[in-house]
Amino acid sequence: MTDELNQERDRQFRTEALRWLPEVARFALSLTRDESDADDLVQETFLKAYEAWGTYTPGTECRGWLFTICRNAFYRRRHREERQVTCDDPELEALAAAAVHASARQGGYEDLFARFDLSDAIDRAIAALPGPFRDVVLLVDVNDQPYEAAAVTLGVPVGTVRSRLFRARRLLQEALIDHARDAGLVRPRLNADTAAREP
Amino acid sequence: MRGFLGWWSRWVARWRRVSGRAAVSSHATGDGMMATAHVAPGMGVAPMLDCESVMRQLWDYLDGELTPDRMVAIRAHVEMCTRCYPQCEFERSFLDAVATSAREHPALDSLRAKVGEALVARGLQQE
Repeated sequence: MTDELNQERDRQFRTEALRWLPEVARFALSLTRDESDADDLVQETFLKAYEAWGTYTPGTECRGWLFTICRNAFYRRRHREERQVTCDDPELEALAAAAVHASARQGGYEDLFARFDLSDAIDRAIAALPGPFRDVVLLVDVNDQPYEAAAVTLGVPVGTVRSRLFRARRLLQEALIDHARDAGLVRPRLNADTAAREP
Repeated sequence: MRGFLGWWSRWVARWRRVSGRAAVSSHATGDGMMATAHVAPGMGVAPMLDCESVMRQLWDYLDGELTPDRMVAIRAHVEMCTRCYPQCEFERSFLDAVATSAREHPALDSLRAKVGEALVARGLQQE
């Protein structure tokens, strides 16, 4: 009887948990930025998940549960506590996005993200974000987690997810616009005064 | 190497989240102003929103995190507003770029085998 229960548990683990291995691997790689470290982190995640499988409720959001284990394992390995960051009003952060857009428009970068493959620059910009901002971008923007699932994974209120996410997006956009300017991807538009002086 | 399937599945997931809402046909009328209130299919008259309200909720809208009524109202405003529409497209293209930027793990098969072996050693019964 116990054997049958174990078999059923293992079958469930294979069906519900191991299917998310590619997503967990991508998440781990984003966190560690090193393939070998990511492999160890993924292995640790699934071993912990297997040991704790009795606490998982079948049919619930297994991917988010695995992300939580993975992230916690990552920070334990790094012996790094999540840094406290100031949280602005998310709606004010959302309004600040309008300023970034206005600046991009003025500089001629309005279609930057649609025209150029910025994958490597985005990868570097995400890695350069402070931990709490990076985590929320990886969960919501890269791994398509809803705010609520990200809040559970991060152990913070949904409002904190929103404010960190919106701030992180602004920081990313500013970094990418700087990158585009430095790389000469787009020639900044001349304003009217400068254009008038052009021969 | 970036896995095409991974990229595609994330792109489709994002597309599903930010589209497929009630279609509202409209046109930009200039200077960010909405021309008229309009009717979204099955939703009654969409409430009039000003640009600042829309800007405050634009990220929530693009993430598909608002109520269906609110999604319809903001979509309707954005599609009619010459001020909000360009910003919405800018943010949308940014989110698409970020969503498709993630590196896939380059050796999933060997990782899968390694994890499988570790789990079997921990007691997982072989298939």
